[in-house]
Amino acid sequence: MSKVGPLGEGLSVSAGVQADSSAVSAGPRARSLSGDGPESPRGALAGVRAGVRLLRSEIGLTFRRPRNLALLGVLAVVPLVIGVAIRAAGDGADSFVGQVAGNGLVLTFAAFFVMLPLVLPLAVGVVAGDSIAGEAGLGTLRYLLTAPAGRTRLLALKYANVVVFAVAACALVAVSALVTGLVLFPVGPVTLLSGSTIPLAEGLLRIGLVALYAAAGMAALGALALAISTLTETSIGAIATTLVLVVVAQVLQAIPQLAVIEPYLLTSWWAGFDGALRDPVATDQMGQGLLVFAAYIVVCGSIAWARFTSRDITA
Amino acid sequence: MPKRARAVRWGVPIAAIAVVAGAVGAGPVIAAVQGDPVLPERTAQQLLADVGTRWKSGELPPMSGTIIETASLGVPGLSALTGEATGPVALLAGSHQVKIWYGSDSQIRLALPSHMSEHDLIVNGDQTWWWDSAANTATRIKTPPMPSEPALPPAVITPQEAAERALAAADHDTAVSVGNDATVAGRAAYELVLAPRAATSLVKDIRVAIDGETLIPLRVQVYAKGAAEPAFEVGFDSVTFSRPAPENFEFTPPAGAKVQDGEMPALDQDRAALREHAEDGELKTVGSGWTSVVVLPFATADLAEGEKQGHGPGLAVGAMADGVLKAAEPVSGAWGNGRLIRTKLVSALLTDDGRLIAGAVTPEVLYEAAGRK
Amino acid sequence: MTTTIDAAGDAMTASPAGGPAIVTRGLTKRFRGGQIAVDHLDLTVPRGAVFGFLGPNGSGKTTTIRMLLGLVTPTSGSSSILGAASPVQALTRVGALVEGPAFYPYLSGAANLRRFDAADPSADPRTVGRRVAEALDRVGLAAAAKKRYRAYSLGMRQRLAIAATLLGPRELLVLDEPTNGLDPQGTREVRNLIKDVAAGGTTVFVSSHLLAEVEQMCTHIGVMSTGRLVAEGTLTELRSASVPRIRVETPDSSLAAAALTAFGLTNIIPAPGEVSAELGDALPERVTAALVREGIAVRGLQVVHPTLEDVFVHLTGEGFDVEA
Ligand SMILES: Nc1ncnc2c1ncn2[C@@H]1O[C@H](COP(=O)(O)OP(=O)(O)OP(=O)(O)O)[C@@H](O)[C@H]1O
Ligand SMILES: [Mg+2]
Repeated sequence: MSKVGPLGEGLSVSAGVQADSSAVSAGPRARSLSGDGPESPRGALAGVRAGVRLLRSEIGLTFRRPRNLALLGVLAVVPLVIGVAIRAAGDGADSFVGQVAGNGLVLTFAAFFVMLPLVLPLAVGVVAGDSIAGEAGLGTLRYLLTAPAGRTRLLALKYANVVVFAVAACALVAVSALVTGLVLFPVGPVTLLSGSTIPLAEGLLRIGLVALYAAAGMAALGALALAISTLTETSIGAIATTLVLVVVAQVLQAIPQLAVIEPYLLTSWWAGFDGALRDPVATDQMGQGLLVFAAYIVVCGSIAWARFTSRDITA
Repeated sequence: MPKRARAVRWGVPIAAIAVVAGAVGAGPVIAAVQGDPVLPERTAQQLLADVGTRWKSGELPPMSGTIIETASLGVPGLSALTGEATGPVALLAGSHQVKIWYGSDSQIRLALPSHMSEHDLIVNGDQTWWWDSAANTATRIKTPPMPSEPALPPAVITPQEAAERALAAADHDTAVSVGNDATVAGRAAYELVLAPRAATSLVKDIRVAIDGETLIPLRVQVYAKGAAEPAFEVGFDSVTFSRPAPENFEFTPPAGAKVQDGEMPALDQDRAALREHAEDGELKTVGSGWTSVVVLPFATADLAEGEKQGHGPGLAVGAMADGVLKAAEPVSGAWGNGRLIRTKLVSALLTDDGRLIAGAVTPEVLYEAAGRK
Repeated sequence: MTTTIDAAGDAMTASPAGGPAIVTRGLTKRFRGGQIAVDHLDLTVPRGAVFGFLGPNGSGKTTTIRMLLGLVTPTSGSSSILGAASPVQALTRVGALVEGPAFYPYLSGAANLRRFDAADPSADPRTVGRRVAEALDRVGLAAAAKKRYRAYSLGMRQRLAIAATLLGPRELLVLDEPTNGLDPQGTREVRNLIKDVAAGGTTVFVSSHLLAEVEQMCTHIGVMSTGRLVAEGTLTELRSASVPRIRVETPDSSLAAAALTAFGLTNIIPAPGEVSAELGDALPERVTAALVREGIAVRGLQVVHPTLEDVFVHLTGEGFDVEA
């Protein structure tokens, strides 16, 4: 094949032609953009509806994903295993957990006592750590953003989804423990840590309180995991980092010489759920725990936001 | 433009961290902004007199609150205790919380919360209960609290008791003054400063914060010489002067709990043992006031025995002593040979001839006491 | 070498419907490693055009598209699509395929499309079923709608990605190598689809290496090379701007070369058995006459119009290795 001469300069005439063609194509297709501005009430309502739709899509994805279902399965099974173990071991009513044998309701508290340090954080860490990094890894993040989901909006809805999962996980633990307790053990008024006894109905209320507090603690962990998730493109990395932090924090917590930093660790406040088992309820301790959770959510949430809204999506 | 936009973005989390840090430090900051509270002037004498008359009436106003006790005595090996022990023994190290409900002298409840367990002392009329949730055991205390002795386990020192002790020590060898007014548990308080005159004392001063309104002691701090932070501090973190709900003082052993009759656990037994020692003439004090030291027969072998007995507090004490002994420094002098344990606030000398000499004094005072056989 | 256009300078501020579909000014991306992926790109894509975005591997096509869509922040310069101040405002009217398909493997094709439709705040949830079915139908995936994406073949995945760009009414389609991995029928379908969409008034911005394909469907072309735009214009402009050559088959090629030089032709390349030269404005019959007059044995004579591929290779260099 023969070679052609230099062409570059020849092309610089294109300007005029382009200006022409754009003039031709303009006009007739002038389309009215979305009639409602974001400020108008109708626009705001539509915005909320669209947000709910995307959140539902997120939740649907989370709760249909086989891996997450397996995690929820584990959360449901652990209380059952604890219950069966206590049933098989027989007595041992010399401690709080030992009371389970005498009162099935106590199994719920025992379940949270056992699961809050690691099992629940594992489940929440997986879902939250995966939330952004997983989409980036699959490449779906670029299509969500060009849909366009909007970066701030997507991040907010991702976090809302994490919170929903945290609440569902804690509720699942509570319900599973409750059902196991009802089936395997007698049920009656509950003895609190303070030695006083409350009726069954109030016991159920306290279970709700414990589950909500635990969910708040898990939501704070979710914010941390979400922030980590925006830093990487591999969900395994984000999940592993989150879980390593959880474990390291609990190791630090166990070192007496480091007692100074304990109040700043997220993990040390999870244990505060036992405030619901005192008489009167230790509102000061639990309130402070909730404040710490809120602080973690605000700080981690803003870090996630700053990172996610300024990051290049190259995956 | 993108670089600037990015910088602005990251300003948000930085601001969030600043806000949180501000909220964490808000207590001190607000206090600093408000400055010291201003209370009507009272000299040390007036204050002591007012407090004295106040206490003579006997009754404290009903109240409830949270007391935080922090001990950083600098005892080597002691900190290892915090992780393991629960209940009263754990109060010897680290920071602890005690909740108090006070209705009257015959209606008192103290709660020592720890993770998933709680110890409670409930005094209601002629009944006194000690509840240990971890052991699921309720103990009916037989001996009703003697009027001369406080009803509380000694380790749980209320501000009232501590102030009483501090004021009792105020005689000719103490400089008593009123310091700057302080804020404790959000309340304006006088601060009574008791400083030992003896140079050989390790105590710099003891500060007692006395509520400006009710004249109730709210906080006691013990400062060692050369330390900016108190070596020991007990004070209200929050307090409300209103009558606690009566159900706080009701205690019925829960179904399924072990119910037993007994003495105050652990520390009362120790105290009884101490009293025995004193009666046998084995325990003596040398010197007086701030520089007094305790001398008692002591052999390291005793510790091992205590460990073998193996019940809760004994074990913890044994473990603690082990740690302490490891950090001891061998010393010798005209008085003989021994091992010296120094902390910020207390020195202790274990002589090889089997005596334990201890006090809030410099080692020289201990050596002198050791020489006086 | 890069085309500079002043006429369209204020196009970015023009009314949304009137201005060009895509305008970039000095658009530059330097990645963290220091690599310049796009270097002062000035691009104008008129409305209604089918714009072929050509360039060898690593020349910065995908990076440009990412910047247009707001996925990557430019290091300097600016870009605007559909006259909007920021990409997000325009993206509901844009269908985009960026660097191949990406979907949730555990969802079916239809469920995947619903998922991305849910992310679009302006999409109407009441019509999503119909729109998804239509989009799948247009790319020939109707039969595989219920199949999990995991089980899709390469071409089916590519088709699904194209379907995702057709979920709503679009004013602009940005397609990064849409026919990648497609069978001949698929390629043809996509080509027809693009023509179809363009006929409806939608602007199409399509990046490709396949010159034949671009030649068949594009009205405008831009050529990238190592991050720079080396040519931009309509297809006819590009073709006409390229100079035809005359090729003479002859046993005495050196004599012929001399004769052509004497005639005033330039860029003469002698080869065994033939010689070629730039024809320019000269008429072929006059050249033939001149050769015959010189007594050169002319066995064959041909006027060669360069193909787009020739143009492309000429602009972007002959080398096969990608520039790093
Ligand atoms: N995330 C990144 N970090 C660093 N360099 C990058 C990144 N993404 C792309 N590049 C570099 O930018 C240049 C342009 O890449 P780009 O993907 O835009 O090329 P392309 O024209 O789309 O190539 P292809 O035809 O192979 O798709 C390449 O040299 C590439 O190595
Ligand atoms: Mg590419």
